[in-house]
Amino acid sequence: MKKEIPIFMGLVAGVIWYTEFFIAGLFYENLKLFFANGLRIGGVVGVMISIYSVSRQMYMKIKYNNERYYSFLRISMILLMLFLGAKRGMSPGTPFMSMFMNVYVPFQATVFSLLAFYIASAAYRSFKAKSLESAVLLVASVIVMMGKIPLGEAIWDKIPLFGEWILDAPSSAGRRAIIFGGYLGSITMFIRIFFGLERAHLSE
Amino acid sequence: MKFYEKIKKIDRRIIYLLVFLSILIPFLPGTEFLRFPVSSTKETEYIFNYIESLEKGDAVHIDWAFDPSVKAELVPFFKAFFRHCMKKELKVFIYYATLMGIGLGKDAVAEITAEDEFAHLREGVDYIHMEWIPISSDIMIFSMSTDYKGTFKKEGVIFDGVETINDIGFILGLSGSGWHFTWVDMQIRFGYTLGLAVTAVMGPDYIPFIQTGQLTGLSFGLRGAAEYEMMVSEKYDPDGPGYYDTATRGMASLTLSHLVVFGFVLIGNIVYFIEKKNRRS
Repeated sequence: MKKEIPIFMGLVAGVIWYTEFFIAGLFYENLKLFFANGLRIGGVVGVMISIYSVSRQMYMKIKYNNERYYSFLRISMILLMLFLGAKRGMSPGTPFMSMFMNVYVPFQATVFSLLAFYIASAAYRSFKAKSLESAVLLVASVIVMMGKIPLGEAIWDKIPLFGEWILDAPSSAGRRAIIFGGYLGSITMFIRIFFGLERAHLSE
Repeated sequence: MKFYEKIKKIDRRIIYLLVFLSILIPFLPGTEFLRFPVSSTKETEYIFNYIESLEKGDAVHIDWAFDPSVKAELVPFFKAFFRHCMKKELKVFIYYATLMGIGLGKDAVAEITAEDEFAHLREGVDYIHMEWIPISSDIMIFSMSTDYKGTFKKEGVIFDGVETINDIGFILGLSGSGWHFTWVDMQIRFGYTLGLAVTAVMGPDYIPFIQTGQLTGLSFGLRGAAEYEMMVSEKYDPDGPGYYDTATRGMASLTLSHLVVFGFVLIGNIVYFIEKKNRRS
């Protein structure tokens, strides 16, 4: 039954969601609301489970002195944010929002911004015209990048046009091919799950 | 060691330092000469023109699907777009598809409403934050034909005349990921008007959907935001200081940092060819 029930559920869900696309009506509207509410409840339960999981993990680390101070700091921050949010709310100007805007936002933005430094270093070391293909790629990327900065237009007003053409024609054609391939794969996977041929998601 | 070998083995910290300076210097006073005028691209113009075509009181839904990591690229666009909507007296519904976006969005709106010109705006009348629900809004919004208000359980004058997704004049998606592919897919089915403002790196992924008509407009990262600031300024304050903001200021940084990368790519290639020639000889 461990296998049959998930396969049966996959079949039922497949029939419902597939036919829903073609048949409109109150029955399907109510059914969709049922699923949507179910997902909403599932989402709330998921948040609760993740809070429990993180707390348990941090407790274990503190108990067995495995990066104890980091774990203590992490759990303290979670509790502090919970406390601040519960006590004064989350609207602009509250301590919660102040912590969020002045601590969390700069931290996350900084981590992402570091990519710029890595990209510059990686481009220097690996972006070389070693073959005809890589030379074409190099030239195309330089044109697109020059088209995106105001200086490129100041040098020659046709550079942005070339850049847009590269994005609109060759690049877009390639992406369209990838998208088509991806969707064909999705449809194949749907059919396989629908008929119970694909069982990877059942840990087989 | 030969000169080109030294260049080849350049310490990465020097590269980091030059990139850092190229980003920092344009923000210093007296560096205004580094700022070049920005012209608009057709993809961003589509969004601007569509908003211009809307009537006073029409509804605009913003799907805020990004967190602080891409703040620098997308918040400037949101600000320029929000100002534009407020100038047009449109009703703006802001839904947060990510928890981490809520604070960011509320702060950006608070910053705008703190300006004298927009101080009269009221939440629930001119705009509304629809917070976050633990499910992607696409399923909830599109699940019922009369569900738009019910989904978010929000009250306010702003909901008058807005009951279904069909009552929304324009949907703007803000994201740094493939989040809005679902919205693009469903556009075919529901026929709504959708525009996207995405990070520069995600932009090319969405271009095919402009060509198919599923997307009405597309803004690429900071450049798109600078274009939008320019268009709003030229339309609504051509003789004044305009609505130029962080995106326009950031374009000089973008230019200089791109030049540094070009420089390093060029040097890298020169060194590569010298080395290749020496190996042959």
